[in-house]
Amino acid sequence: MGVIAAVKLSPDRPLDIGEVLRGLEHYRPRRKGWTWRRPVAEQGIGPFVYRETSESLAHSVPLPAARDFGGIDPQCDMVITTEIASGRFEDDLRRMRMAAWHGADHIMVIRTTGQSHIDGLIEGTPEGVGGIPVTRKQIRATRKALDAIEDEVGRPINFHSYVSGVAGPEIAVLFAEEGVNGAHQDPQYNVLYRDINMHRSFVDAAESKRILADSGILQLDGAHNANATAREAWKVTPELFVQHAINTGYSRAAGMPADLIALSTVPPTAPPAPKLRLDLPYAVALRELFSDYRFRAQQNTRYMQTDTLETSVTHVLDTLISRLTSADIQSTITPDEGRNIPWHYNNIAGINTARQTLMGLDGLGDLVTVREEGPLRKQVRELKERAVLFLEEILADGGYYAAVEAGQFVDSGFYPERNGDGIARDPQGGDGAGTVIPREPGYGAPVCSHFGHNYYDPANGRACDAYGGCTLCDPSKIRYIDEPDPEDCVAQRLQRPLAERAAGLLRPEVEKHGDGIVCVTLFVPGETATAEAAALEMARRMGLGNPEVISRRVMHPAEGSLFELKGVLDVAIAVDELQLPGQADVLPEADIEAWVRPRDIHIVAATVGEDEHSVGLHEILDIKHGGIEKYGFHCHVLGTSVSIEALLDMAEQTAASAVLISTIVTHADMHCRHMQHLHDAAEQRGLLPRLLLVAGGSQVTDALARAHGMDAGFGRGTTGRDVASFLVQTLRDREPA
Amino acid sequence: MGCKERPDNFEQSRVRLRELSDEELHARFRELVDRIVEPLIEEARTHTTPSIERSVLLRMGFSSVECRNLVTQMQARGLLGHGAGRLVLELARARGLSVREAGMALLEGQHWELLPL
Repeated sequence: MGVIAAVKLSPDRPLDIGEVLRGLEHYRPRRKGWTWRRPVAEQGIGPFVYRETSESLAHSVPLPAARDFGGIDPQCDMVITTEIASGRFEDDLRRMRMAAWHGADHIMVIRTTGQSHIDGLIEGTPEGVGGIPVTRKQIRATRKALDAIEDEVGRPINFHSYVSGVAGPEIAVLFAEEGVNGAHQDPQYNVLYRDINMHRSFVDAAESKRILADSGILQLDGAHNANATAREAWKVTPELFVQHAINTGYSRAAGMPADLIALSTVPPTAPPAPKLRLDLPYAVALRELFSDYRFRAQQNTRYMQTDTLETSVTHVLDTLISRLTSADIQSTITPDEGRNIPWHYNNIAGINTARQTLMGLDGLGDLVTVREEGPLRKQVRELKERAVLFLEEILADGGYYAAVEAGQFVDSGFYPERNGDGIARDPQGGDGAGTVIPREPGYGAPVCSHFGHNYYDPANGRACDAYGGCTLCDPSKIRYIDEPDPEDCVAQRLQRPLAERAAGLLRPEVEKHGDGIVCVTLFVPGETATAEAAALEMARRMGLGNPEVISRRVMHPAEGSLFELKGVLDVAIAVDELQLPGQADVLPEADIEAWVRPRDIHIVAATVGEDEHSVGLHEILDIKHGGIEKYGFHCHVLGTSVSIEALLDMAEQTAASAVLISTIVTHADMHCRHMQHLHDAAEQRGLLPRLLLVAGGSQVTDALARAHGMDAGFGRGTTGRDVASFLVQTLRDREPA
Repeated sequence: MGCKERPDNFEQSRVRLRELSDEELHARFRELVDRIVEPLIEEARTHTTPSIERSVLLRMGFSSVECRNLVTQMQARGLLGHGAGRLVLELARARGLSVREAGMALLEGQHWELLPL
């Protein structure tokens, strides 16, 4: 399979959507089937040796704290999923690229509302709602962009979508042809949640599963949806075993190998429920009953509210359960899913929750095991027995279809308890009822990956040999349809974004290109309802269009509440009118050392005021932290909580060329006062002409420092080399020629 | 819509499972699942649907629009039980056409009277 018109990405340039769309009719996927990460045992990365990591990336954005560990970005051994659903695939591609840079290698594309009920394939690039319409052009463009993104980050990316609804077998063929790597396929999902006729759903599913299996596409099931639907999600756990079992058993019977079957499982509860006590026995029982299969661990959505921090904490606990038991794939949920269609930066937040947790838990199994004695074993056994009883009743009552008809599924009772609130379906009803047709004795399907009785079932060769091969054997036979609708298509949607980009205009966005949506956080000190009304009015006066409260957290019913509001900021900034702050010149390390070492330069440094912070200063000065001592400066460090007078005394004694102060405590603008005090005292002693004054601290900026009499200021992210470059450049300029 | 309400009678119901070892319980679980799945997969082996038939024609090199038109007409004429792919391939063989030519001829309204072959 040749790759035609491949896209090459450069880390400093945005994805060119025009390049992705060019030559699509000739594009072929470079590989088929699922790819796992490649684990590396005992991997040394930076200062650490990891137990549960995989090969590192060529390009990525590390976790924020990595700054203190040399910028390392270890990758866990589990595949990490993010779900992407903006409705416009062209915007999703940029989101996928951001996600890949943060460590996602399983991109799950949600389908537009209602696609399950469309009897056949959709073509072109129409806009979707809550997801994209899955069409050949959209998935081909997406796969092509992902090829470029995986080259950029240096790791294969699995592309995933859904084989459900009344067009399952056609979508399965499409996915096999276009190099989709993973898919949801579970006929029970159609029956319970989409009211698609159960006979149609199961007959279609066998064909779909056979197609997926032959293409090496990893299958996920849909059992986790029962968690998301049930009122008391932890009580449907016996049913979840039953649903997993039916889809798994059916998949095996249709010819799918065990290693392509992944069970989609969610820890069912969230705090303040005693989460681990309920969720861990369930997770253990599931992995014991289905030990032959893969596990896709999903994070909980059932109890998500609008507080993204609360959600993230639940997701950390979910991920802990994955590490305490096992997971092949750790899926992530955007923490804002409870309040809006996910925003792209929240995909990244969700990925980082999993990545940060899994790195923190690396090697946990060497230290901690789940206790076999105690309550766990009893709970595990009980869950399995409840599931066996459920299966027995299905058979006793006449099989699966009869059980669904009787409303046995998604009942909120803890089986065998029944609350009478399950989802009942008529075996002869639902979408697609009456469309299942008996095969005639001579029924034939002259294609590969076909399931069931078939006239063309050659003992040797392929069923498609009679006409030179089907599209799965000869992809040149695939019929590509470009755009059936000249209005509802990507070219129309791109007109404004491409024009604005060409004009160098930037707008804020969270979901679609230049949508203008911004989020503001406001604390309002008043009674809750009044505070909310005031917050909305404040957003209006900020000039935000359609302001809406998306999160409210009561700090105290009378003292005030915290609100997050979204609204549209209708502002386009012209890039070439921007004044960018000048970047200080950083000198080559060899040049710094060559100038400093022969000159015997002394520097006096301390943390000033009532301030015991010393970390920042050590990083700038100490040789072992890569500080400026290594260039040959003589550093006299006086410690913490040092007075300005003591500092200047030492500067005089050592004939220092510079004084460096660190000022971390900032309340009541203490940092500004310290800088001003240093300047005034040095001036009084007549030191200013020969003594450079430099301040550093997390809230210090160069402009602020200069405004308070310093020669320079250094804030967050400063390195010893930055400070040394400034000192050398300034002292060199002052040297007599 | 749901089933009849019932209290949690687990303690009585589990009595006969109590004697089973964990391995025996797992084996019982798998055996029950196989028995539930068997009639479902048998129906799939012996039946087809419009989506399966469209997916067969897709694999034979027809576009989604062509597949929909062909299968809709075959279904209306009660021919789908023979298999859309078989109808097209056998027509091609009988008339000395390529598979694609046979399908296009059907789309133009020709040769329907010959089906099934």
